[in-house]
Amino acid sequence: MSQRYLLALYNNFDEAEAVVKELRTADIKGFNAANDMVVKSPIEHPEVEEFIGNKPVYVQWFTLLGASLGGFLAFWLISGSQANFYAQMKGGKPIVPFPPNFVLTYEMFILGGVYITVLGFLILSGLPARRSPLYSAKVSEDQIGVLVKGDEGSVPKLREIFTKHKALEIQEEAGR
Amino acid sequence: MSVSNLLENWSKFRHTHPVEDKGHPDWEAYPSDIKWAMAIDLDACTGCNACSVACYAENNLPVVGKEKYSHGQAMHWMRIERYWDESESGFEVDQGARFLPMMCQQCEAAPCETVCPVGATNHTEDGLNSQIYNRCIGSRYCSANCPYKVRYFNWYDYPTTKDVWPSPMNEQLNPDLSVRSKGVMEKCTFCKQRTYVARNNAKTEGRPVQDGDVQTACQEACPAGAITFGNLYDPESKVAQKWQHQQVELTKEKQDKDKTEGNRLRGYRILEELRPYPSVMYLERVRESAV
Amino acid sequence: MGKDIREDIAWAQINKDVLKSLESPRKAYWVILLVALLVFGVGVGCEVYQYNMGMGVANLDNPHVWGLYIASFIFWIGMSHSGTLLSAILHLMHADWRKPIYRFAEAMTTFSLLTAALFVAVHLGRVWQIYYALPYPNERWAWPNFQSPLLWDAMAVFTYLSSSMIFLYVGMIPDLAICRDNIHQGWRKKVYTILALGWEGTDRQWRNFRMTYLTVACFLIPLAVSVHSIVAGDFAMSQQPGWHVTSFPPYFVAGALYSGCAAIISLFVILRYVFRFEEYMTLPILKKIVRLTFAIAMVWTYLNCIEFASVWYSHDEAAKGVLIQKAIGPYAPFWWAMIFCGSVVPFAMMVKKWQTNIPIMFAVSLLLNLGMFLERWMIVSPTFSHGIYPWTFDHDQWPSMVQWGMVFGSFGWFTLLFLVFCKVFPSVSMYEVKEMVYHRSLQSKKEAAGEELAVKGAN
Repeated sequence: MSQRYLLALYNNFDEAEAVVKELRTADIKGFNAANDMVVKSPIEHPEVEEFIGNKPVYVQWFTLLGASLGGFLAFWLISGSQANFYAQMKGGKPIVPFPPNFVLTYEMFILGGVYITVLGFLILSGLPARRSPLYSAKVSEDQIGVLVKGDEGSVPKLREIFTKHKALEIQEEAGR
Repeated sequence: MSVSNLLENWSKFRHTHPVEDKGHPDWEAYPSDIKWAMAIDLDACTGCNACSVACYAENNLPVVGKEKYSHGQAMHWMRIERYWDESESGFEVDQGARFLPMMCQQCEAAPCETVCPVGATNHTEDGLNSQIYNRCIGSRYCSANCPYKVRYFNWYDYPTTKDVWPSPMNEQLNPDLSVRSKGVMEKCTFCKQRTYVARNNAKTEGRPVQDGDVQTACQEACPAGAITFGNLYDPESKVAQKWQHQQVELTKEKQDKDKTEGNRLRGYRILEELRPYPSVMYLERVRESAV
Repeated sequence: MGKDIREDIAWAQINKDVLKSLESPRKAYWVILLVALLVFGVGVGCEVYQYNMGMGVANLDNPHVWGLYIASFIFWIGMSHSGTLLSAILHLMHADWRKPIYRFAEAMTTFSLLTAALFVAVHLGRVWQIYYALPYPNERWAWPNFQSPLLWDAMAVFTYLSSSMIFLYVGMIPDLAICRDNIHQGWRKKVYTILALGWEGTDRQWRNFRMTYLTVACFLIPLAVSVHSIVAGDFAMSQQPGWHVTSFPPYFVAGALYSGCAAIISLFVILRYVFRFEEYMTLPILKKIVRLTFAIAMVWTYLNCIEFASVWYSHDEAAKGVLIQKAIGPYAPFWWAMIFCGSVVPFAMMVKKWQTNIPIMFAVSLLLNLGMFLERWMIVSPTFSHGIYPWTFDHDQWPSMVQWGMVFGSFGWFTLLFLVFCKVFPSVSMYEVKEMVYHRSLQSKKEAAGEELAVKGAN
């Protein structure tokens, strides 16, 4: 059965919330609210996470990985290069001196943390991405979009729910 | 490879100098039995500037001219400092100036070495503070951190500047060392070109370097014989005997003799309390009033 | 006092207002841009001259080997810190008044770091060998000297520059999507489309975005502190009198935040006028930054006094000598000007009427920055002119026109970069202003409802 996409635009978060809640409880054949529904909003709105259901965020694991790798690599690379470069003393200090190496380790710790966190962000949020089949510029302005994917048979029901909650506009397109 | 090297030699890499390895350094980065050092007898110095001139000739130092000199851009590796006695009426001229020949003190724990971002200045195995002209990028941090301010920066490209070595003066440039171009730091090397010849000769002849094998240019030129130069690790050398006689120890930042009151020993090192462990000992009964 | 921002401002209107700044600024924009270009030209000319002649034309000498270049380096690094203050620290503290102004503050961070990086190059005797300072693998196994505070500087500044650029970019992605959706022709469309990465504001994107933004903000705060501590380390790690001071790192960090906040006030005034941002960069917000600046000014003054006191009561005669020389020596006029601009002028910000008076605050912020520039100069130069070794006292050195020209030119370079950025990218964060408006209107609705309830209850 071919898939259809539906995008409904709403004026405010309350309406969108009502729709999402109804869609989640509604039993529509060929439509799975957990996977087939996306809320698009112009601002970051923590309540969206509540009403769309708990979806975990894993960015912090990338952070942990990046920061610890950065720090570890920094210390080993720096100490290693010091142990091979001339092996000549400078200023009577040890050839592998701890205080400077800790300073550099600290910087690399942050560098690794930031880089890998952002990399994780791109991976986890699926960016860079092609635009999804249905997109309205209104979403980046002031409206909240609810994008659903469902079997052809579920479209009328979905439309009905959308209209019930005063959708400003409903777009439909065949899935790929 | 680097990691295995690091682990194998860990304790050596964590060694400090010269405090922990007193006397002869104890590992392969310092295989040499040589520690070049100097003793300068200020009571003998007449302030004639012969040492400075000799240094200019030996080390290809550019003569920058009056204008740049007055801007403080002179390149005198060996400089004669003058100090006047001060009394209530101002400077005492009657007694004359006191002189202090000042050059790089070849510190054992040199403040300039740690701060160079590219590692262009290092401690060598024969106890000198080296300057690698090719590596220098001219950040001038070494000079900023030098307590004696004995490092000189090439503010201009002197080899191509008019009247620095007017013909035929360019014919007398020393071929044993380079002529430095603009943007690098330079300083006294204890006439490295001469000490290396002496070491090579001794090696060829299969004997250790002996006292008197090598003289620095300033030492050679000093009419009063105020400058003594040699290997501090050779107990027979004049310089080692002078240091010993004056009870000045290389690895101490406070000499034991200074604790005993009324000692008549004249030896001291300048700015010892900053702990750079300089390799030059000066001899003079210190007159506070003259400094 | 009014509200920080009008709460009934429509979201579509926010988009429209900010997008307009990308298209049609006031004529003043082009005038400033042209002037900045000319000023930058002066700097370029000076550098070309110095590059060919040698560093001597800067009139530096032995032992006065550092001068305005290093002072400007610290100045520009310092200026960058307030961007982080606004975007990261105030973000964690949920101070939402930062939202209309943090974007340009962050851009200021990036561009002042780029300006500071220029001074590293300008300062070097052999700038063509600058890559020796990078830890790149090479056949000779020659590495930079990791012990050198200058190398820590390089590492810290690189980390800070790249992290704050990333932070600026990540925070701008939703706004770039708005630009992509609203600008339909020319090269800009392509640039925005590529940079927006296909952002659509889905719940998944926002969720990860929030976490990322928070995490990077948490990293940036200690990073910013460490960067200026390390710059302070360039001096504090040395043995020179007047530099070898334990309190330098916090003193530098406070000075950095101080000059950065002053710069934010100046740029606030300029942007507000040039891009017609009166609705967003409002006077109540100005008032808040002014108060923040005053608080930081007092911290700086305190740390300054601490430094003097610790030198004065120490037995370090050389350091004491430098301090006395600062007050009565050849640099005395500048030193006292620094004290005046840094510690006396900020009291003008105590006057309530002046806090929202744009011309007065603009003048005050310029004076503060002048004071902070002098502060950096007074850290660098007096130690060289009156160091530890009496014979090398060097009271006559004066920076040449080449040095001044380069300092002058750096302001042109910064202004140029900054203005181009503000014209190409939205300098007010649209999505965050929407958030601010949304949450504030919700809040006041709640309050109104609460009051009604209270009234009913009383009846």
